Amino acid sequence: MKRLALFAIFAILAAAGLPRGLALARTVSSAPKVSVNEVAEGLTCQCGCGLTVANCNMPTCSFSVPVREQIEKMINAGLSRHQILGLFRAKYGEKILSAPEAHGFNALAWVMPFAMLFIGAAGILIALARWRGKQLRPASAPEEEETVQHYDRRLRYRLKREIERLG
Amino acid sequence: MVFIGSFALALALVLALYVVGASLVGARRRLPALVDSANHALWAMAGMVGAAAGVLLTGLLTSDFSIKYVAEHSSTTLPTFYKVTALWGGQGGSLLLWTFLLAVFAAVVAWQNRHTGLELTPYALMTLALVATFFLVMLNFITPPFARVFPHPAEGGDLNPLLQNYWMAIHPPSLYTGYVSTTVPFAFAVAALISGRLDDAWIRRTRRWALFSWFFLSLGNLFGARWAYEVLGWGGYWAWDPVENAAFMPWLMMTAYLHSVMIQERKDMLKVWNLALIGLAFALTLFGTFITRSGVISSVHSFTQSGLGPYFSGFLGLVVVSYSGLLLYRVGRLRSAAELESFVSREAAFLFNNLVLVGIAFAIFWGTIFPIISEAVRGVKITVGPPFFNRVNAPLALALLFLMGVGPLIAWRRATIRNLALNFSLPAALGAAVGGGAALLGVTQWYVLATLSLAAFVLATVMLEFSRGVNARRRTVNEALPRALSNLVAKNNRRYGGYIVHVGVVMAFVGIVASSFFKVEVKRSLGPNQSLDIGDYQLKYLGVSADETFHLERVNARLELSRAGRPLGMLEPGRLFYKLQQQPATQIALRSTPGADLYVVFAGLDPKTGLATFQVFLTPLVFWLWAGGVVMALGTVIAMWPDVREREAIARAWERQAMGLGAGESAGFEGEPF
Repeated sequence: MKRLALFAIFAILAAAGLPRGLALARTVSSAPKVSVNEVAEGLTCQCGCGLTVANCNMPTCSFSVPVREQIEKMINAGLSRHQILGLFRAKYGEKILSAPEAHGFNALAWVMPFAMLFIGAAGILIALARWRGKQLRPASAPEEEETVQHYDRRLRYRLKREIERLG
Repeated sequence: MVFIGSFALALALVLALYVVGASLVGARRRLPALVDSANHALWAMAGMVGAAAGVLLTGLLTSDFSIKYVAEHSSTTLPTFYKVTALWGGQGGSLLLWTFLLAVFAAVVAWQNRHTGLELTPYALMTLALVATFFLVMLNFITPPFARVFPHPAEGGDLNPLLQNYWMAIHPPSLYTGYVSTTVPFAFAVAALISGRLDDAWIRRTRRWALFSWFFLSLGNLFGARWAYEVLGWGGYWAWDPVENAAFMPWLMMTAYLHSVMIQERKDMLKVWNLALIGLAFALTLFGTFITRSGVISSVHSFTQSGLGPYFSGFLGLVVVSYSGLLLYRVGRLRSAAELESFVSREAAFLFNNLVLVGIAFAIFWGTIFPIISEAVRGVKITVGPPFFNRVNAPLALALLFLMGVGPLIAWRRATIRNLALNFSLPAALGAAVGGGAALLGVTQWYVLATLSLAAFVLATVMLEFSRGVNARRRTVNEALPRALSNLVAKNNRRYGGYIVHVGVVMAFVGIVASSFFKVEVKRSLGPNQSLDIGDYQLKYLGVSADETFHLERVNARLELSRAGRPLGMLEPGRLFYKLQQQPATQIALRSTPGADLYVVFAGLDPKTGLATFQVFLTPLVFWLWAGGVVMALGTVIAMWPDVREREAIARAWERQAMGLGAGESAGFEGEPF
């Protein structure tokens, strides 16, 4: 059966066209490091479309079309992604960047999700430890009494069901 | 006719208020006749809202431009199909659709629960009617869909061209159905808190509603992504736009809820958490509507901005404050005798699954509202776009994928080393083999390698579960393989339906990651008979053809497609021009295969040079995102299928409740993921 499972998984992956997808992946992996799109993804289009400069696809967009051309020139001039984004930020202000900068007040945008996640994880670990402690702790007398009553009620309930079934 | 619509909405508001009062008084004073009358009023309210929707639809179909809504969102030349979809193409119409769905769901709940006594149902109906009251107040006083325009125009303003697409026929209704149906489990949660019936009866009675909601939220999000893919013409399907985020967050919450309720049903734990999750899911549906309607945050999807924002934010605040108050009031009685034997157990895995899902929802919420916070604190407007959401959510998504593999196979209570080795050695080996194989084939991105490994790991765990179940049936009942498989799923539909959903999620994951990392783009201007290459495809431009209707002008480019010299047919991407709105639009051409999608945009034709410009994308494996959606839908339908054992369990739960027994003794089902 395990062999069947293995076969099924490989069949699914093969059917998924994975080899062809991976062949394409190889092509992309070997492409130059900084492309126009990689830089344009870091800038927000100002035409009002709400997309990044990379994604705004209006053929006559007065913003994304010339900006993409400028990015291409800057890449050809040897500027890095960081430098190009810096130049656009200096010209248009922070709103041009498609993600908050990781310093100053904006760092809060990056830190908060992970901080909340760590707080949540800590909360879960504390709760798990407490629940585990409860499980390991020997039951005290009142708890035992409660358990007896609890089972008593369960037994009464089961008894009622059995009687009903017989009746 | 307009008068009938307005009158029906006014009457529906009166009936909704009556339901609120009669349900509350009937439940408090134990008056079954009064609660019965509330049920009848609720059905009448649904009828009135249905009548109003019918009137507006008739107005759209007959181009009655004396109705302002029809004059603004339809035209005489608009195809009939889009006249129907124009019902949710504007503010008043979409709110009316929302209210109609809510009224229908409330009526169904009243019918389903007409014999279940005065414990929970009246309070649930009261909550549903309260929510309906808010929407009916909006429809009667703030954005009336039957407002008149005088003198009425001879021609309407037409539907926004971006909404003239067949996906818009099913995307908003699916999403609204998902949004609105979260109100049902929320209403029963409120009922449990008010009535003090705090065991898992409210969860069991709304389990199918929660799945129904999840199903439609999934479809709504997928259809919306598909709409963006086909209509916006940028080769992508998800831009982390605020409205997309607002639709995604309730889905995440409902996913967390569907997993955590299993712990409550089985172990009587996480009562407060489950109540909080369903409250958050409902609040997030209101938040989504607030984002779409208010215009506080700019969005590519905000077609119906208006001044509704303050009303929605006020109602959202009221819901959050009053629900939190109820939860705090009952928190003392919600503490359970929780026990846990080990950190390495299915219970712990589910808790971490919840943490990751809620963590992703919080990250998206935070990113969505951060521009408002930044502007309020610093006075500087900033943008939080795809790079932020991708970077923050990428590691969380991997953690989620890992937990999706661990959850179904790890033992309840305590996983021993033997259990871990027995269950996970094969999936882990397979995951490593797939990751290693992909690396050998030339994939260098660590994220892609991790995704492929984890995808294989999850698929292997699901296959193992199926193979063990089938083997057990073949051994014990001596069934043939196909029969054993179908019986296995049929007799444990909740569990195996959930596993099928997991397979769909994995397929979608692979599609998303591959299409995000390996999309290839070529933009080129071509003269007639010139070609461009992308991947192993060749596109030869032959020329353009034009046609015109009363409604729009269309210019199509004709491209001959071949692959490695083998002809594959013609592709005809087009440029559309909607006459009434004087707005251009894109009509993409798509050749979709499991390996890759070839996506062609006709960017324009230069009349001087005769050159046609094309933007072509080759996106690997994106097909599997949509196929995964179909598998998820199939799995959810299987999980939702009526289950005799569950019905008996609900009946027993009520019986036990009547005898004063706790829910701890409830007979949970073995290890079901839903």
